[in-house]
Amino acid sequence: MNSAVIVGYARSPFAIANKGQLTRVRPDDLAAAVVRGLLAQTGIDAGEIEDLILGCAFPEGEQGFNVGRLVGMLAGLPRSVAGTTVNRWCGSSMQAVHMAAGAIALGSGRAYIAAGVESMTRVPMMGFNPMPNPALAEREPGAYMSMGITAENLAATYGISRAEQEAFAADSHRKAAAARDGGRFDAEIVAIDTPDGTTVSRDGAIRPETTADTLATLKPAFRTDGSVTAGTSSPLTDGAAAVLVVNEEFAKAHGLKVLARIRATAVAGCDPTIMGIGPVPATRKALNLAGLTVDDLSVIESNEAFAVQALSVARELGFDPSRVNLDGGALALGHPLGATGARITGKAASLLKREGGAFALATQCIGGGQGIATVLEAV
Amino acid sequence: MDIKSAAVIGSGVMGSGIAAHLANAGIPVLLLDIVPPSAGESGDRSAVAKAALDRLLKAEPAAFMHKRNARLVTPGNIEDDLGALAGVDWIIEAVVENPAVKADLYRRIDAVRKPGSVVSSNTSTIPLAALVDGQSEAFRRDFLITHFFNPPRYMRLLELVTGPDTRTDAADALAAVCDRRLGKGVVRCNDRSGFIANRIGTFWIQSAVNAAMDLGLTVEEADAIVGRPMGIPKTGVFGLIDLVGLDLMPYIARSLLATLPPDDAYRALHREPELFTRMIAEGFTGRKGKGGFYRINKAGGGKVKEAIDLATGAYRPSGKAQLASIDAARDGLPALVAHPDKGGRYARRVLLETLSYAAGLVPEIAGDIVAVDEAMRLGYNWKHGPFELIDRLGADWLAAALDEAGQPVPDLLRRATGRSFYRVTEGRLRYLTVDGDHAEVTRPEGVLLLADVKRATKPVARNASASLWDIGDGVLCLEFTSKMNALDTDIMAMAERAAGLIGDGRGAWKALVVHNEGDNFSVGANLGLALFALNIALWPEIEAMAERGQQTYKALKYAPFPVVGAPSGMALGGGCEILLHCDHVQAHTETYMGLVEVGVGLLPGWGGCKELLTRHMADTKRPGGPMPAIAAAFETISTARVAKSAFEARDLKFLRPGDGITMNRDRLLADAKAKALELAAGYTPPEPVALRLPGPTARLALELAVEGFRATGKATPHDVVVSGAVATVLSGGDTDITRELGEDDLLALERRHFMALLHTPGTVARVEHMLTTGKPLRN
Repeated sequence: MNSAVIVGYARSPFAIANKGQLTRVRPDDLAAAVVRGLLAQTGIDAGEIEDLILGCAFPEGEQGFNVGRLVGMLAGLPRSVAGTTVNRWCGSSMQAVHMAAGAIALGSGRAYIAAGVESMTRVPMMGFNPMPNPALAEREPGAYMSMGITAENLAATYGISRAEQEAFAADSHRKAAAARDGGRFDAEIVAIDTPDGTTVSRDGAIRPETTADTLATLKPAFRTDGSVTAGTSSPLTDGAAAVLVVNEEFAKAHGLKVLARIRATAVAGCDPTIMGIGPVPATRKALNLAGLTVDDLSVIESNEAFAVQALSVARELGFDPSRVNLDGGALALGHPLGATGARITGKAASLLKREGGAFALATQCIGGGQGIATVLEAV
Repeated sequence: MDIKSAAVIGSGVMGSGIAAHLANAGIPVLLLDIVPPSAGESGDRSAVAKAALDRLLKAEPAAFMHKRNARLVTPGNIEDDLGALAGVDWIIEAVVENPAVKADLYRRIDAVRKPGSVVSSNTSTIPLAALVDGQSEAFRRDFLITHFFNPPRYMRLLELVTGPDTRTDAADALAAVCDRRLGKGVVRCNDRSGFIANRIGTFWIQSAVNAAMDLGLTVEEADAIVGRPMGIPKTGVFGLIDLVGLDLMPYIARSLLATLPPDDAYRALHREPELFTRMIAEGFTGRKGKGGFYRINKAGGGKVKEAIDLATGAYRPSGKAQLASIDAARDGLPALVAHPDKGGRYARRVLLETLSYAAGLVPEIAGDIVAVDEAMRLGYNWKHGPFELIDRLGADWLAAALDEAGQPVPDLLRRATGRSFYRVTEGRLRYLTVDGDHAEVTRPEGVLLLADVKRATKPVARNASASLWDIGDGVLCLEFTSKMNALDTDIMAMAERAAGLIGDGRGAWKALVVHNEGDNFSVGANLGLALFALNIALWPEIEAMAERGQQTYKALKYAPFPVVGAPSGMALGGGCEILLHCDHVQAHTETYMGLVEVGVGLLPGWGGCKELLTRHMADTKRPGGPMPAIAAAFETISTARVAKSAFEARDLKFLRPGDGITMNRDRLLADAKAKALELAAGYTPPEPVALRLPGPTARLALELAVEGFRATGKATPHDVVVSGAVATVLSGGDTDITRELGEDDLLALERRHFMALLHTPGTVARVEHMLTTGKPLRN
């Protein structure tokens, strides 16, 4: 079996949807800019790329057609490079990484761009024409349940208090602000030119002044008697991310700088009414395949869809908090649905390189009741 | 001469409000004020005008008819931007009432303005003669007074004063702009202190305050007498002072005293009660202060309405005024003034003083009584002007009462004795001139009043709730006459009658206009009747009533003749639905449309869901797929959105892009009639509705959204039920996207779910609550 390695990771700045600095940028243009940035960063000859696999949770409107193919054209890739769009909701671009690794393992190709994008400003969550199946809704009420309510369900199931959630969220902002101020995002961020004539190069959602006390003043966002607020939920975000996944031999032959090897991947389904717990079965599967345990992981990127969701997963899997989301998570950075998987996988790979250690994990939950996980190893 | 652009100098309450209203008329306007002393070298030198623009955007009631109108207002300052005045056609001065300040400003304006531009002052107290004193000859020719009332968007009066040098064409041009584009009732006044409305209004306020204190009436009693029974807003006098601000009163009095003739009756009347002085000093200046004659006491977490005891100056709980004379007033003003209790004596004294004062002011302040009555109606919202009030009491009675009291009888009143100030002969309204003749009241060109039609002719048809009038040139007018213009089966019958009379539109009648001159076009169906039927479970009758409305509106829509709706004020529920079925709507700008049925636990059941949905579906500019259209209609209906102007009604699709908007209410009927005649030539009815709707999937999508609102407490349990019914109708019921639904399918859906809601206790509770309290129940 051919092994796949990650040799590059880039992303756009993440900006708050509907009021941030990227509202006027089309998602296809945004993803194309990140792809160009990734090519520049890695120095790969674009003609070597087999396929551009683009994750997107609501592939319609400006994210419609086959946006994966169109982003390749916009980025100036040779016409010979194929393009596809994949959807596993929040897991879309981690799925893109998995598909790239699988194709490499099979020998289908040697170099893939696994990217993801979401403009939650320009294509609303649930899309323009939500048309759910009434019979399914009857049988499986969780199928279309609002994400906020699933977070409340987790809070009840795991008995996680509002105060714990708020402390966790404040910590995410603190870590993200420290990473930003320490220049630790500089290498990964591709500056984006907007139609307004501005250039955006910094994340827009990080609020270092956030404290547990300020969060405590917010009203519950999803249920009057609930514990989840806007401050303990990841914000609606515009953003794109991309990783370059190549055959390990190919990397050596072309002198590409390897960040990490993809050791194992997994997806798993779970109860949709507590979809946020999805990373637990997915991670267990992936670790099992890798023959590892949680204690073997020196770097963990666990997506923060909600504070209560990330806390439930950490508690259930027994994560050491000092190894989790070192540069902050989605609560502070934002969660552009289709882009998050590529971001946390690329981030985990680059952190493994930066921090040292043997193994890393990237995992996230998915609406409708799923989890997805990737185990990486140092090379 | 045309007014393409304007400038307002002075961005206080009046200046900024005038600027906003010019923007409402589509006129770009510069709003200039002083450079704040704090600006220094680096500060924002236009901060004062910019702050005024910010305030305008937050004003309640809204100063702009549409938020985007704010873009027509450019803030600036009189140091750096005075030169820009060279580009504007009309410059309005609305600065502090200080002759020296104004004179200096005029000289600076005169130096930069373009030749032939018009300059007007919004002064309310300084005579024109004093304002132009020492100004250039050109300035005197181009100068006049345009006195707006507060708030300028809503108050219809504009007092126009010209001087001996003012160019006639300039005055006429401005009068035309104020009338047609700003929608004002322009009243020409003589150059006298306080002009018309404030001269009489201030006198009336003082008279009503003095008499209340002298005769020992409570503020509630006084307001209950000088309010509704006299056709004056129910705020009466003390409520009005609270609204305007008590602190303004001494200021207005002083400026009047400084300029009124030495023998003016106001001088003797004027008082500044110790209580008022103390209230002002302590900040009890009215609604904008800590409270006024009335206040809401929120101490102890409660909400108690209180009123001031005029004798002790202490607040006490407010109660409804109970006087036998208030009941007697139902039989008319003569019964009120004849009543022996203190309320009757109070009414008699205030009316005697005020009406004789007004009668003595013509021709001093205006050329005729028509101008005076118009000014009080439009500037103080009186239902009847002073001369109309005298006619209600009888000129003879007033003259006799003055004689009896040993007071002089004004000349004009003496001339009216034995007859009246107004009379109708040969269907024409005539008024008493200062020469003692009765002359016809003439209307400007393009003004058609239903009231005039009604005086001149008999109705073509009439029943208990509606009439049909011949408004000329083959156009019929359907007028609602029920209480609050509530819709009932009599109105439906009259609409059907109109359709029968007009027939194919090729006989005596060509077109129908739906219009009335009530405060509100219609606030919807008669709920009381509905509840009555509900309580005795007359289900088939209720359903028949629902179907009758649907069929009547549908018949108007597809009739072989054009139907034009001409609303002003509120057009809610069924009142909105009839307009949605018209071929064209000519709306007064102050029209407030909304499908508010969910407030009483119902859904628009007379074709409102069908029509609004069809408009959204037909919009070619919206995103693709059925859901954006359905969701937009759902949001408007399920939240009972009411448009706060005709322009907002366009945004909500209550009005179509081709529907017309008329600024001046008096011109509404003529505009609607003209449009009806235009449509009548070669008229073809609209294409029938045919929609493909997604059915249950769309309903589920909407219900999932509502579930989120319920979970966060934004929707009540019964909101979920009602909006579920709205969602079902708007998604097409149990249809499938491949099936085409027609008009009758949608009407049947509306009816079924309307009836289903009526069977829920939650809806019955809402209807009852609305009828007893006038407010929606949030159950």
